[in-house]
Amino acid sequence: MDKIMEFLPFMLKGSVLTVELFVLTLVLSLPLGLPFALGSNSRFKPLSFLCKVYVWIFRGTPLLLQLFFFYFFFPLKLGVKISAFTAVVLTYVLNYAAYFAEIYRGGINSIDRGQYEAAHALGLSRGQTMRDIILPQTMKAILPPTVNEAITLVKDTALASTLAVTDLMKATTSAVNRMTDMTPFFFAAIIYLIMTFVLTLIAGKLEKYFSRYDAKEEW
Amino acid sequence: MERETVLEMKNIIKDYGSFRAVNNVNFSIKKGEIVAIIGPSGSGKSTLLRCINGLNSITSGEMNLKGTTGMVFQHFHLFNHMTCRENITYAPIKVKNENKADVNKRADELLKMVGLENKGDVYPAKLSGGQKQRIAIARALAMRPDLMLFDEPTSALDPEITGEVLNVMKKLAEKHTTMIVVTHEMGFAKEVADRVLFMDHGVIVEEGTPEEIFENPKSERLRSFLSSMLRA
Ligand SMILES: Nc1ncnc2c1ncn2[C@@H]1O[C@H](COP(=O)(O)OP(=O)(O)OP(=O)(O)O)[C@@H](O)[C@H]1O
Ligand SMILES: [Mg+2]
Repeated sequence: MDKIMEFLPFMLKGSVLTVELFVLTLVLSLPLGLPFALGSNSRFKPLSFLCKVYVWIFRGTPLLLQLFFFYFFFPLKLGVKISAFTAVVLTYVLNYAAYFAEIYRGGINSIDRGQYEAAHALGLSRGQTMRDIILPQTMKAILPPTVNEAITLVKDTALASTLAVTDLMKATTSAVNRMTDMTPFFFAAIIYLIMTFVLTLIAGKLEKYFSRYDAKEEW
Repeated sequence: MERETVLEMKNIIKDYGSFRAVNNVNFSIKKGEIVAIIGPSGSGKSTLLRCINGLNSITSGEMNLKGTTGMVFQHFHLFNHMTCRENITYAPIKVKNENKADVNKRADELLKMVGLENKGDVYPAKLSGGQKQRIAIARALAMRPDLMLFDEPTSALDPEITGEVLNVMKKLAEKHTTMIVVTHEMGFAKEVADRVLFMDHGVIVEEGTPEEIFENPKSERLRSFLSSMLRA
C-alpha cells in the first residue's frame, strides 16, 4: 500500500500529461484535416497534388521517425529550441491531420452528386453547399473511422515517452524500474482503458445523434 | 396584351466533348405558359433543362433568362439531414436573406398545398417517393422562381403514386405557374401543356399544341415515338 502511495502521484501526473497530449492533438488535428481533404479534392491541380503528397508522407512513414525528425529539426536546422512536448504535439497534429483528411475525403466523395445539383439549383454558394449540405451529411459515415483513429491516438501517445516527455508511459516505466514492482503496468493499463472507454461512450452518443436522419440518398 | 417572355434561347448548342447533346435549339417561353418536352431517352431533354438553370454551361448560342429558375429532379435530391420544413426554408433564409417568420409561414402554406402539412418535422428518409417529390416541389417553389423546371418528376415513382405528384403540378398549372416539364406522362402533357416540344438527337423535331403533336404528328420520328410510348 505504501508503495502504491509512493508512485501514485507521479503516475497521475503522467496521466494528466497523456490526456493533455491526446486532447490537444485531437482538437488541433480534427479541424486541420478538413483543408487537406478539401484541397485534395480541389480542381486546382497543384493544390490537390500538394495535399496528396502531404497525406502520403505523413501516412507513409513511421510516426516514431516523424517524432524524432521534428524533435531534432527545430534546434538543428532552425536554431530554435522547442520543448519535447511541443515537438510531440506538433508531430501528432500533422500526422493525425493526414489521417483525418483521408477520412473526410472519403466521406465527401460518398455524397451523391444530386446534393450538389440541388444546392446549385437553389442558388447556394459553394461555401454554403459544402458547410451546410455536404459536410453535415458526411458526419455519420466519418464518425466510426474517426473514432478508430482517436483510439489509436490514445495508444500512440505512449510513443512520446521516447522523447523527454513524462507521460503516463514514461511514468510507468520509471516507477517499475525504481520499485522493481509490476503494479504500475496494471495501473497504466487501467488508465488507458478508461480513456478508450470514455471515447467509445462519446462515439455512441454521437452516432445516435447523427442517425436521426439516414444520410444515404435513396430512391 | 402580349405576355412577357421569361426565357429565350437562340441557336443553343451543348457538346459533351465531341458529342453534341443539344443541337441548335431555338425556344422561348412566356409568363404563365406550360411547356412539355417529350422525346426518347438520350435525346437531350435533361441537358436542355440543365443549360437553362446553369447546371450545364452552353457551348454556344444565346440565352436570355429574365428572373430565376427552380428545379425538380427525377430523384428528388432532398437534403437528407434536414427536416422537410428545413429543406423548404433553408434557401429563402440563407440565400435570399428573407425574414424567418415569413419563410416559415410560406413553408406552412406550401406544405399544405402539396398535402403534407403534417410532415414538416419529419426527415426525408421517412417519406415515400411521392411524398419526397412533393416536398422537393415545395422546396423549389419556396424561392418563388419565375420559371419552374421539372425533369421527369414522376419517372422514379411507382405507377400508382405518380398521380399525387401530377396533381400538385396540375394545381400549379391552374395558378399559371410558368413551367417546363420533361415528361414521359403523355396524358399529363396532353391535358396540362399549352405547348409540346418533341426532341430527338438534340434537336427540336416538332413543336405545337397538344392536339397538333398527339393527334397530327407530322414527322415519322414523332409518330414512331408516340406509338412506342403507347406500347410501353
Ligand atoms: N455529363 C455527360 N457527359 C457526357 N455525355 C453526357 C453527359 N450527360 C449526358 N450525356 C449524353 O448526352 C445525351 C443526352 O442526355 P440527356 O440526359 O440530356 O438525355 P435525356 O433526353 O434527358 O434522356 P433520358 O430520357 O434518358 O433522361 C445522352 O446521349 C447522354 O449519354
Ligand atoms: Mg433526362
